[in-house]
Amino acid sequence: MSTLTAKPIQDYTSKDYKSDLKPIWCPGCGDFGVVQAIYRALANVGRAPHEIAFVSGIGCSSRIPGYTTAYGFNTVHGRSLPIAQGIKLANPELLVLCAGGDGDGFSIGGGHVAHAIRRNVDMTYIVMDNQIYGLTKGQLSPTSRRGLATASSALGSMESPVNPLLYVLGYGAQFVAQGTPADMSGLATIVEEGIRFPGFAFINVQSPCVTYGQEDQMLKAQKATMQTLESLGHDPADRLAAMNLAQAYGEKLYTGVFFRQPEPGPTFERLARERHEAQRASVSSRADVLNAFRVKKP
Amino acid sequence: MNTDLVIGMAGSGGDGIVSAGESLLTAAAMLGYHGVLTKSFGPQIRGGESSFRLRLCTEKVLNPGGALDIAVALNWEDFLKFGAELPVGGQTTVVYDSNTNVAPGKLPLVGVTPAEVLSVPIEQMARETGGSDRAKNTVVLGLMSGWMGIGRDEVIAGIRKRLSKKGAEIVERAEKAFLAGLEYAQQHPLKTDRLMGEPPTTGAKFVVDGNDLCAAAAIVAGCDFFGGYPITPSSEIMHFLGREIWKHGGTMLQAEDEIAGIGAVVGASFAGKKALTATSGPGMSLKTEMLGLASIAELPLVCVNVQRGGPSTGIPTKGEQSDLFQAVFSAHGDVIRPVLAAVSAEDMFPITIEAFNLAEYYQTPVIILSDQEVGQRKETAEPIDVAAIKLVERQRPTGKELEHYTRFRFTETGISPISHPGMKGGNYLASGIEHNELGAPTASGEMHSRMNDKRLRKFDPLKQRRDLFIVEGSAGAPLGLVSWGSVAGIAIEAFRMAVKQGLQVKLLVPRLLYPVAEAVYQEFFASITRGLVVEQNHQSQLFRLLRMFVDVPRGIETLAKSGSNPITPQEVVDRLRQISLALQRDQHQQPSEG
Repeated sequence: MSTLTAKPIQDYTSKDYKSDLKPIWCPGCGDFGVVQAIYRALANVGRAPHEIAFVSGIGCSSRIPGYTTAYGFNTVHGRSLPIAQGIKLANPELLVLCAGGDGDGFSIGGGHVAHAIRRNVDMTYIVMDNQIYGLTKGQLSPTSRRGLATASSALGSMESPVNPLLYVLGYGAQFVAQGTPADMSGLATIVEEGIRFPGFAFINVQSPCVTYGQEDQMLKAQKATMQTLESLGHDPADRLAAMNLAQAYGEKLYTGVFFRQPEPGPTFERLARERHEAQRASVSSRADVLNAFRVKKP
Repeated sequence: MNTDLVIGMAGSGGDGIVSAGESLLTAAAMLGYHGVLTKSFGPQIRGGESSFRLRLCTEKVLNPGGALDIAVALNWEDFLKFGAELPVGGQTTVVYDSNTNVAPGKLPLVGVTPAEVLSVPIEQMARETGGSDRAKNTVVLGLMSGWMGIGRDEVIAGIRKRLSKKGAEIVERAEKAFLAGLEYAQQHPLKTDRLMGEPPTTGAKFVVDGNDLCAAAAIVAGCDFFGGYPITPSSEIMHFLGREIWKHGGTMLQAEDEIAGIGAVVGASFAGKKALTATSGPGMSLKTEMLGLASIAELPLVCVNVQRGGPSTGIPTKGEQSDLFQAVFSAHGDVIRPVLAAVSAEDMFPITIEAFNLAEYYQTPVIILSDQEVGQRKETAEPIDVAAIKLVERQRPTGKELEHYTRFRFTETGISPISHPGMKGGNYLASGIEHNELGAPTASGEMHSRMNDKRLRKFDPLKQRRDLFIVEGSAGAPLGLVSWGSVAGIAIEAFRMAVKQGLQVKLLVPRLLYPVAEAVYQEFFASITRGLVVEQNHQSQLFRLLRMFVDVPRGIETLAKSGSNPITPQEVVDRLRQISLALQRDQHQQPSEG
């Protein structure tokens, strides 16, 4: 089942989502392709830029909201998810995007991912996974491969990497996909599907770091090795099959939707709305809250 | 007849100690009496020791008082664990359960001879009337009602209301237990008169505690979002909003941690809503980075710290005023965050409203310093007139401003109109990164300096808010008394006692602690050569903060104690008398003119 048959709400083009700010990214950075894919996905969805909140953490990739015309919020390291949830719960009408790097999402902010999944606030979380810390000039990241020598691991990493795909699938994420700017068009499609998914959507993007990354992670290498999950005949309704394929993270580059819950569970904001409707009738004004403190003579 | 009585009671966790105290306070409030009820517990979740102290008064009362007039021990082991929190003195009537097998002449109280000692068969009466020892607290209610001569009908009404769900038999037994205690008291009159005088004629009061009232004030202020994480002694704020905020269209989020709690609040504020978080010391430490984000992104939010003993886990169940330095200084970068402190549970209402107003007006995080006592004690309060409350909303851009919107525009006040997602034309980038007027990231030293100036200068008018200070006494008095937060209630009473005794003293209680309103203090200190700063922490944190910003007279001393070491009005008066004597010596030593 594709969710992409829907028509845009209004006619927008990628240009309408591109801001005047010039990216600080290095020439050739994968994130250029990611932001292009996001522009295109947003144009296909067709929400007005002022109805979009785009939240990020800290890192090279977290500069991304500023390169869009949406309401952007470039927050603190690792905390984009709680802030994005607060925005969506405060105004469920907004389209909420959240983005950051692998350090932001799986190291300093790793604890928030599981809770974003179980809370299921409708938003799309895009992790630009480059297996390195670029902004701080080349240290180990939580997805760096074992043995990797970096600025902070001159003698090689002694830890095994986090597998972001298995992590989120294990926590019960209802939409899990992976893309690469090596296939910008495919990535745009994945982002659009994530946005249209009614709940928390996770997208891992293999976005290479041209300055501190490894040769086999560059776009050219990716183009030669990537395989679409569709071509493997994968059924995205099958979580266990998705987990099986996700085990190849770090060895094989699969793109497309690993898992999409066929019948998505309720979002937090839908349950909140139902609660509001159920509770509202019991009071007439905010001042009623003070009745709790009144003592009455017998 | 008495106008002011302090009752203290202790027993085991399952004895319903606190519930008895609350019943008595509620009954007294119905009659129009004023009262303060504090609770103190051991660290255990079930069992362990439990106590209350209740001060009832015919006039407004701001603290739980000093030595007990009536002490009730259901067992001595638990009673003694509270030490100075339940002080027995020469004026105390001691009542204890006969089942403790302690002879009235051999109480385990060292160096004290109480005015009167009664061994009462409390447990026995509970079993005979209430059917189990669980009715001991109700028997004690009867004893108190009888000896104090108040609240018979009110306590019974309270019992009926509280137990009606449990069935008629339970209610009947409880009433019997209460009446048994009452009759016992009537048959065994005390040698010392403990009858309460006539209540004020102003009528029934509210009964409030600081945490619940803070939550209610947030709703009245228009708060639509709470994010937080459970932590003692602040969780009641979350509990209350978890029940109530939905009725008013708001959302309560119990987040995965303290950081996510305030993170969601920052997000809700960015989205245009008034938002609140609440915590205690360890949680404040975790929230610090988010407070910095809210400061630089100029987003309103209110953060309540219900202080407890620290550092680290410290004493979670007992209050302290030791997080003032943290509230004022824990930010990195050049930051001012307004810090407010309530002086009583009742004061949490106006302080919380004020916090939201300041947050919205100045587009800033505002910290409220409460503490375990303000947060969890129950007290009588005057009914609140909601119609009289003025609410402030953040300044929004006009239609014309949205044509070329500049989020962080340099203005005369330093306050720039703020848009929110969904507002057409208001699109901007908020960030923790230094930015220019449009919100675009910058590393320019000049822009950083101008933005810092904007973000700091905007608070200048706040320092002129004299209404956030309690000042009493004659302007020229040479002796000064300064205090803040829950301990201010003790200082205010001490001040009034000292004035009655003829001391030339004046009082200052800041409810705005930061930014330091230099002019208010300079004016207060102008006539003062000696004085006292009273606070519940080890380092005299307010005193030291003032020394940083204000020319504090050299003759100012401190009375500072770590949390859960009671400070009494009498103790403050005694210190003031000593200081006053020193003041007289100073005046003698001054060389005469001519």
